[in-house]
Amino acid sequence: MSAKIIDFASAATAASDGLVIEGIHTTYDRVDVLTGVSLRVLPGQITCILGANGAGKSTLIRSILGLTPAYRGRIRFNGEDITRLPTHRIVSRGIACIPEGRKVFAKLSVEENLRAGAYLEPSAREIAHRLEHVYAVFPRLAERAGQLAGTMSGGEQAMVSIGRGMMAAPQLLIIDEPSLGLSPLYVKENFAVIERLHSFGSTVLLVEQNVHQTLAIAHRGYVLAQGHVVAEGSARELADNPRVKEAYFG
Amino acid sequence: MDIAQLGQYVVNGMMLGIIYAMVAVGFTLFFGVLDVIKFSHGDVLMLGAFTGYAVYLGLGALGIEASWLQLALVVIASVLAMAGVGALIARFVVLPLRGAPAFNTLLITLMTGMVLRECVRLFFPAGSNPKPFPRLLPDTQWAFDGFALRLDSVLLFAAGCAAIAGVHLLINHTRLGLAIRAVAQDSETARVMGIGFESIVLLTFALGSGLAALAGVMNGLYYNEINFGMGLLLAVIGFSAAIVGGLGSIYGAILGGFLFAALQTLGAVALPFGSAYKDVFAFAVVILIIAIKPTGLIAERSSERV
Repeated sequence: MSAKIIDFASAATAASDGLVIEGIHTTYDRVDVLTGVSLRVLPGQITCILGANGAGKSTLIRSILGLTPAYRGRIRFNGEDITRLPTHRIVSRGIACIPEGRKVFAKLSVEENLRAGAYLEPSAREIAHRLEHVYAVFPRLAERAGQLAGTMSGGEQAMVSIGRGMMAAPQLLIIDEPSLGLSPLYVKENFAVIERLHSFGSTVLLVEQNVHQTLAIAHRGYVLAQGHVVAEGSARELADNPRVKEAYFG
Repeated sequence: MDIAQLGQYVVNGMMLGIIYAMVAVGFTLFFGVLDVIKFSHGDVLMLGAFTGYAVYLGLGALGIEASWLQLALVVIASVLAMAGVGALIARFVVLPLRGAPAFNTLLITLMTGMVLRECVRLFFPAGSNPKPFPRLLPDTQWAFDGFALRLDSVLLFAAGCAAIAGVHLLINHTRLGLAIRAVAQDSETARVMGIGFESIVLLTFALGSGLAALAGVMNGLYYNEINFGMGLLLAVIGFSAAIVGGLGSIYGAILGGFLFAALQTLGAVALPFGSAYKDVFAFAVVILIIAIKPTGLIAERSSERV
């Protein structure tokens, strides 16, 4: 009986670990892109990663997802080492990603794209429920459920991509450069949507170039430059940190 | 030419068409998920036909005589065995070469096909001789004005159509099909959705190879003869059919299969010394079509990238 309680307690601490990255090194195209990156994404928070082009943000995401595994260091999620798991196993642990450039399946319909997002959910009823939820957030997608995603506008494709991430109902949602290539109006809307996703209960790891708007919604953040973390702290601290500016303009 | 002869040509053309289409659908599936050309496909078809024949001989030795039971077991064993062979080829020959130039995959699968072919020739008892494939279908026939429509042709054609329709339904209306299409379009994003890339590739190769096995058994049942080299021409024709229809599209593969059979039949009917030159005629027209429309008759709907 007591053993059970202890098990439960340790499981609870493990589950509240969130994502912990310890000193990872990753190469991409034979070049060292990440050299000893450590960071933490606390459950329930929005954590952001800032940095200029080529700072290693995308490679960091690829390492977390197992698309370009780290060759040194460790990535743990809820206490479990996921560093070298294949991508679909990492995703099955409750991590989903809204990828950079939206990456909708152009020749699948909107609804098929959304269903692909819930690929690991076995219950048809649960999938229907999530679809309803996505359509409630993006009524536009409900109108266009049968349309091929590739024939939609950039903004609409962004909705498909976000909706697809929501369909996974992940514990941790990674959002990679959501405002890249969108008009200012959509960018503003996008940040509102991210806050909304967070309010639905997902922990969010947000990768962005848009410093001010990002820090306005994030709890904590890290600044990457040349493959390592050059600054970290709460969003407020980062907003006043001169290194943040340096990372972009220095 | 009288109407009876014409009817015979049409029925024969339809049979060839459905068999070519089944082979072409396999090529299109493999190309779809992995962007590879798997040239051992025709020899897998041949191996499927020989597996069916071996099962028939085995059942005979066991004293099982009911032809419907023989037929069912021949088909099931052959399809399942080739699905396994297809998955093994994908796992140990095709996937390890991922990242290498597509040309290497083409060559190594060509060699794999040769190995399968030579294995049957050398190790199947008297494998270098043609084998009499049993008549397992009812031999009922209806006579119309001198033209005899055989029930077995009708059944085989229906079976082929059902198999292709089944594959089409699977691809377009199931969770597995959704995963196959997602992998085909963007394998990396598919992985991020939680789709196991490797298992989907293996299942797709199993599916295409099972379909080829069925085509091989149907070919045997229709001509009542199989031989170790039968896969070679069928692979070239099936491949041409897939290309001319538009590689990557199932409708294109079906269209290409029937088009090639129609050209062969037309060549046989309309040309002097027709049957000798029907393949030359059909391939010449196919080459012409590809020259005019390099993406095939039904090109993949291109994506609008924003």
